[in-house]
Amino acid sequence: MDIQFKGEHLLPGQIGQFFIVLSFGAALLSFISYYFATTDDAGKENSLWQKLGRAGFLVNLASIIGIGVCLFTLIYKHYFEYHYAWAYTSRSLPIYYILSAFWNGQEGGFLLWLFWQAVLGTFLIFRSKSWERPVMTVVAMSQVVLAAMILGVEIFGQRIGSSPFLLLRESMPAPIFSNPNYMEFIKDGQGMVPSLQNYWMIIHPPTLFLGFASMIVPFAYAVAGLWQKKYKEWVAPAIPYALFACMILGTGVVMGSFWAYESLNFGGFWAWDPVENASIFPWIVLVAGLHVMIVFKNTGHSYFTATFLVLLSNVLTWYSSFLNRSGILGDTSVHSFTDLGMFWQLVISIFIFLAISVWLLVSRWKELPITKKDEDTYSREFWMFVGAVFMGLSCFHLLVVTSVPVWNAIFHTKMAPPSDIKTHYNVIQSSFVFVIVLVTGFSQFLKYKKTDVSKFFVITGSYLLIAAALTALIAYTTGVYKLNFVFVLAMWGSVYSVLVNGKVLADAFKGKFKLAGSAVAHIGFSLLMIGALISAGTSKVISINNTGEAYNAEFAKEENPRENVTVYRNQPTKLGDYTVTYIGDSISSPNHWFKINYKKIDASGKVTEEFTLKPKVQVSKGTMSASPDTRHYLFSDIYTHITLTNAITPTEAGTESAEAAHDADNDDKNYDAPVSHEVKTGDTIRYRDGYIVLTGLNKEAKVENIPLSDSDVAIGAHLEIVSNGNKYSATPVYMIRNGNVYDFARKVDDAGLKLRFSKVIPEHKTVEIVVYQQPESKKKFVVMKAIQFPFINFFWAGTIIMVIGFFMSILRRKSELKTV
Amino acid sequence: MKKGSIFGLVVIAIAIAVIISVYANTSTYGSFGDAEKTSSELHIVGHLNKAKELYFDATKDANYFSFYAKDNNGEECKVILKGPKPEDFERSEQLVLTGKMVGSEFHASSILMKCPSKYTQDKLETKEVKAKSASI
Repeated sequence: MDIQFKGEHLLPGQIGQFFIVLSFGAALLSFISYYFATTDDAGKENSLWQKLGRAGFLVNLASIIGIGVCLFTLIYKHYFEYHYAWAYTSRSLPIYYILSAFWNGQEGGFLLWLFWQAVLGTFLIFRSKSWERPVMTVVAMSQVVLAAMILGVEIFGQRIGSSPFLLLRESMPAPIFSNPNYMEFIKDGQGMVPSLQNYWMIIHPPTLFLGFASMIVPFAYAVAGLWQKKYKEWVAPAIPYALFACMILGTGVVMGSFWAYESLNFGGFWAWDPVENASIFPWIVLVAGLHVMIVFKNTGHSYFTATFLVLLSNVLTWYSSFLNRSGILGDTSVHSFTDLGMFWQLVISIFIFLAISVWLLVSRWKELPITKKDEDTYSREFWMFVGAVFMGLSCFHLLVVTSVPVWNAIFHTKMAPPSDIKTHYNVIQSSFVFVIVLVTGFSQFLKYKKTDVSKFFVITGSYLLIAAALTALIAYTTGVYKLNFVFVLAMWGSVYSVLVNGKVLADAFKGKFKLAGSAVAHIGFSLLMIGALISAGTSKVISINNTGEAYNAEFAKEENPRENVTVYRNQPTKLGDYTVTYIGDSISSPNHWFKINYKKIDASGKVTEEFTLKPKVQVSKGTMSASPDTRHYLFSDIYTHITLTNAITPTEAGTESAEAAHDADNDDKNYDAPVSHEVKTGDTIRYRDGYIVLTGLNKEAKVENIPLSDSDVAIGAHLEIVSNGNKYSATPVYMIRNGNVYDFARKVDDAGLKLRFSKVIPEHKTVEIVVYQQPESKKKFVVMKAIQFPFINFFWAGTIIMVIGFFMSILRRKSELKTV
Repeated sequence: MKKGSIFGLVVIAIAIAVIISVYANTSTYGSFGDAEKTSSELHIVGHLNKAKELYFDATKDANYFSFYAKDNNGEECKVILKGPKPEDFERSEQLVLTGKMVGSEFHASSILMKCPSKYTQDKLETKEVKAKSASI
């Protein structure tokens, strides 16, 4: 191409692209150097290879920061000649979202991952001591694989990776790009998708990617252990990192869940969407692996399982990345990315990690410290192992179902996921949860290695009974008992686990402080499960529509939950215990908030409770996306979500076909046929939504900008309107000016009325008032869905407690490392 | 037999049970023609017929939405969703309908839409760029 384009800023992109290539090269250098430092320089104190490896890795970190600076420059300066800036930002985007636009695209996600992995690697350089060489070989290799994802360079006609510095004109063919001045026509970017303009967008992706990035550390230790034949030694130093990865990834996933609940229209905190499932595969497997690592550390048993699970967790991290980014979930997920043309690159990446794992396990198989001796049935380790295996099975089930599109691609089948997918997941996963929480409970009564059997059964049994009584109480009051029996079982197990671990925690304060971390984490997890079971199981749609007309007999026969209800402006509607009124709007582009007033009225007509929710609809370029608003109580939430509305005007929605009829002639078309009433002062006019009273006539009415002479007459009719319990007033004017009769109608938009004072009839001493009322379909309305989520706070609180538990465990395991 | 082996067998049994239950639970992708032959729910991949009427009137019933869809074999059928019209429905390029036939109508329990421009801005938005340049 020989066109000299004008107005482009190519420099930041070129520097950025240079840094990308540099980061890739530095990572590769670091990987190779560390590899030879491990093999050739083994045992050597002062290794040149090691120095080179370190230098390479630090250059890698620096160039990743360089990439970040360049990318931020072109987003911040609105260089829309770059696809990334054009696709995800616009001039009107506030600065904090400009920051989050950084990771809006897939390339940005990889960049974030790269950055965190580089930070973790740098930390390891300084902290991992004798483990540095082999561990950093693995981390640097992972860095190479990741950097290749954003390389955007063509090798042998095959594009490797997708660069965030791609120019708009390179990203898509369009005739406009043959114009050297094309930049003059691209004044603004596409802007961020409204549903992403949320503060969770700022914090959720960095946390999630730190979680994904930290999965590499335990993996690197496991690989190093096998490679260096330090089969036993790798476990102890890897435990704190595994705890860290579980803590961060768990936090990141639940943040996403909270985001979905608070501001997306999924109608809940977990939808079993494939993308959500994929993000917890690595978490479940690493939590399982963590437990088996502790088993191995304490007893020397289960070496293979511990290593296997840790290796698997990182392979699954890449698998989940593949599911989300390859476009393979297209038919089953609402929010997977589309393919960037990296399908096979992602597949190869999974196989790189898989191949290393398999090859090491197979080649070292004969030397692995696998014990032939059976573990004692009454030892804690045995049951920790059992619990971990059940976690693995739970993940296995999630994986099998979520991967249905993958099976279809491999075997050329045409399976579809189960049609009632939520029930399917809920029932099967709850069964696993029952076993897992039960084990987290009774294993606490077992001693490491050996236990007094009869005492154990007495204690376990009595706690189980107390838990059963409590569960019965909770299940009865919340209504969980009406659900599938497995949910009650899972509930029982969770309550039991809270009780037992609560006791362990109490003991911990008396001195056995070592166990506090795990007890807190277990309590957190069990509370999380209790919250999830109650709120998801007994969430109640309160916006059941009882008024909707049935369409045909067949349709009405079916039991169909009519979960959406139409609420007209200022027309109170009864929803469950609440009287709900749509009382108004507030608009600040691109957001349109709907004020939905909730009132609880007791038998005597007194308002016992009142609040206003403001769910919003974001409008951009003619598309709308809704965000709910939620009233939080300690034990329950009321969630309100707009599914549809006619209150957003075409101009607000940005469509140019604004046919809104503003002129007076057409205005009457917006109303039903007028009805005239002959009334005198004090009379009442009844109409559909209420009544109108003529309270008086004002003989000296004035109309703006119309001067009146002495011979002219202007009379105002004071009207008081009561519509659905709300009062309004209006004064339409009747005027005789220069011998001509005019009348000035008044509109009461909130009541959907237009009133005219059309005639004075002196012989009857009456006047004529013409009432125009809007048909139902022209009145402003919202179609909304309201759901009550009981005990959802247990879910959030449980998560926080679990994270605290993880953190306490990290501190404990770290201090153990120092004392040994 | 050793305890470890018994446990191993139990785990394998559960794994097989999981696979079987998933397999039994999976539904199939099919066409409207297939849907007429079965009474169970299935998934149909198709697209919206934009030439025919989309019916939704919130003032009558906010939980009734009907439209015409064509499956990948080109067969057309009236589809009814017991809910409000999804946002941006007209802009969808592809639909995955889950549901079953009732009489001659397909009653969908869920609809998954693919709007190409919602999460990644691609082709559709390119047109806007062109339109802008033409108007200046």
